Amino acid sequence: MDNGIIATVAALSALNGFLAWLLVLAEKWLADYGECTIRINGERSVRVRGGLSLLSALAGEKIFLPSACGGRGTCAFCKCKVTEGAGPLLPTELPMLNKKERAGHVRLSCQVKVKRDLSVEIPESLFRIREYQAEVGLIRDLTHDTKLIRLTLVDPSEILFKPGQYIQLESKPYEKIRQKVMRAYSVASPSSETKSLDLIIRLVPDGICTTWVHRHLKQGERVRFIGPMGDFCLHEGEGEIILVAGGSGMAPMVSLLAEIREKQIRRKVTYFFGALAKRDLFYLDEMHTFEKDIQDFRFVPALSSPAPDDVWNGETGLITTPLRSYLEKENRAAAQGYLCGSPGMIQACIKVMNACGISEDRIFFDPFS
Amino acid sequence: MKRTPDEQKIHGNFLPGAVTRDGFLGSDSRHIHDIVLEDSRTMERLGLSAGEIADRLQFFLDEGKKGLEAPVVSGAFTVHVEWHKGSLPCPFGETGLHPKIMARLCSNQTGRCIRFSQMNIHLIRRHGFFEGIGSPLRLDPEELAAFLELRK
Amino acid sequence: MKGLSPGILFFASIFTGNILLTYFLGMCSFLAVSGKIRTAAGLGLAVTFVMAITSALNWAVYTYILVPLGVAYLTTIVFIVVIAAVVQLLEMIVERYSEGLYLNLGIFLPLITVNCAILGAALFMVIRKYTFIQSVAFGTGSGIGWLLAIVALAGIRERINEEKIPPALRGPGIALIISGIMAMAFIGFSGMVQIQ
Repeated sequence: MDNGIIATVAALSALNGFLAWLLVLAEKWLADYGECTIRINGERSVRVRGGLSLLSALAGEKIFLPSACGGRGTCAFCKCKVTEGAGPLLPTELPMLNKKERAGHVRLSCQVKVKRDLSVEIPESLFRIREYQAEVGLIRDLTHDTKLIRLTLVDPSEILFKPGQYIQLESKPYEKIRQKVMRAYSVASPSSETKSLDLIIRLVPDGICTTWVHRHLKQGERVRFIGPMGDFCLHEGEGEIILVAGGSGMAPMVSLLAEIREKQIRRKVTYFFGALAKRDLFYLDEMHTFEKDIQDFRFVPALSSPAPDDVWNGETGLITTPLRSYLEKENRAAAQGYLCGSPGMIQACIKVMNACGISEDRIFFDPFS
Repeated sequence: MKRTPDEQKIHGNFLPGAVTRDGFLGSDSRHIHDIVLEDSRTMERLGLSAGEIADRLQFFLDEGKKGLEAPVVSGAFTVHVEWHKGSLPCPFGETGLHPKIMARLCSNQTGRCIRFSQMNIHLIRRHGFFEGIGSPLRLDPEELAAFLELRK
Repeated sequence: MKGLSPGILFFASIFTGNILLTYFLGMCSFLAVSGKIRTAAGLGLAVTFVMAITSALNWAVYTYILVPLGVAYLTTIVFIVVIAAVVQLLEMIVERYSEGLYLNLGIFLPLITVNCAILGAALFMVIRKYTFIQSVAFGTGSGIGWLLAIVALAGIRERINEEKIPPALRGPGIALIISGIMAMAFIGFSGMVQIQ
């Protein structure tokens, strides 16, 4: 019966079509959260598209909360106080917040979805973090696995930062990698240099960003970064300054030394630089210049595993060796220690410094180790 | 097997560029669960547990850390450890971050070397995951057991 | 089935003809999501919502589309399509209004589509020739019966000390044994009302 078949097919298609249309309508209505207002610190408000995570919504308004995992909920850097409108605590947030934080309305901003108006509290220091477009001015090999990258700022054309701070550089897709990632690198140039900044980047085996920098980044290429961030900086005091940093840890130290030179700080400064062999040393000329310009500064490199044909008259052994033998000579209670480098090195040096009389509150180091 | 959106997201973490540059799967097209299952069968055959292998690797990693990036001799092996700044999340999607510590362990006798990271030790111990075939950091359980002299 | 009051039907489908404990329909998510009372209650409410709405919708589709066109043989397929659409709708609603529940239920929310209790209730309604009101009462009641069963199982599972159970029986093993005992208890209700 042709009529019967046509009628049946028509009726069933109409039914399916109706259901599909119903679902499309529902999705439009249910998944659209409209525009929401985020009130910040009780003062300013921003209007954002609903449905995004709080972290993304704020980033869209150029307010950058720190994040190391790209919004996956694993690093807990993006914690933020949400006083209103966050909804119930999500199972993904629970393991990352302690009792005090939960009671204090602290949430993981990468997990909280903006579905209605919110009120948040953000520390003032985060507002100084901005997005920058820069051009690669110079790429120079410093050692077999470390490069100097000089970025000339384009927009904004100047950057104000404190020596010791870092920026987060955004990598670009390459080869099989389709994502962009952000990685932190300390600024290695003087803060008086506002139109460009130097980064010292060491190749990390299987690293996403460092592989991009070492194998694909070209001079003249445009890059994006966020900054400046971080609390590592020179602290007031009368005592001597002990710097310990190896490899790419040299970066913030160069910036600190430039600050010491520019402000003509009269404190005694000693910089212990640990490396494996001669081929891992770099910036020797720059350090000699600092020794000449700064009233009382000594650069002490130490090689822990010199190559057979390295002609070396300087210190040998792990960096803790010359550090300890120097510190032991006198009472160092008034000294300040500044450390940057691998977490293992930092732990070992803190032990030595403590043993030689420098208390924990006088030792400063980069927290993102 | 059809994957849920959750599983697809997790599978994405194992691909190049998500957590590490080369990812954890190499050219392996098997499902992550299948990789773990086959490797666990190998270990059953060898009479070893993932924990034992992880413990041995961790021992060498810890010895190497003492060298502050200089090579350290430990028994019949030399281990060279680099500790880079930053940390990585587990690709299986658990909370917690793992430091970027890479080790190169070489046998003093044969000169053969294996490379592994702190993340590898976590993946082996907690998930029985030795990485996919073709992945540069894959540690085949059988070869690993022989190299580390763990065979019973 | 004419003459059977919807009220009695509603009561009967919860206790004497409990779709899970008497007819053993809807077992897989019942066993899988009965670990915690909160999540079990959430899933139970979701299933009740779907059953109530799909009973009404499916009755309308059967009576006004399938029968007049003489294509009653397509009943099963068409019912599944309607159930699938309603579950999609439910997913969107849960995601919007209760993100915590959405994350806790995970894959089991879309799996409601293939929960045989829902299709079962719809097909029972056809076989027993219920009217519209009877269908809604039956559908809602069956959903609540399912909710009751899963919450009861979750309550029991939360309290038993797994340490005292032999290792081979932990998890699904003991859950099935408990369900069997609960089903036996519900047999006590049988004979109170005839709904067939």
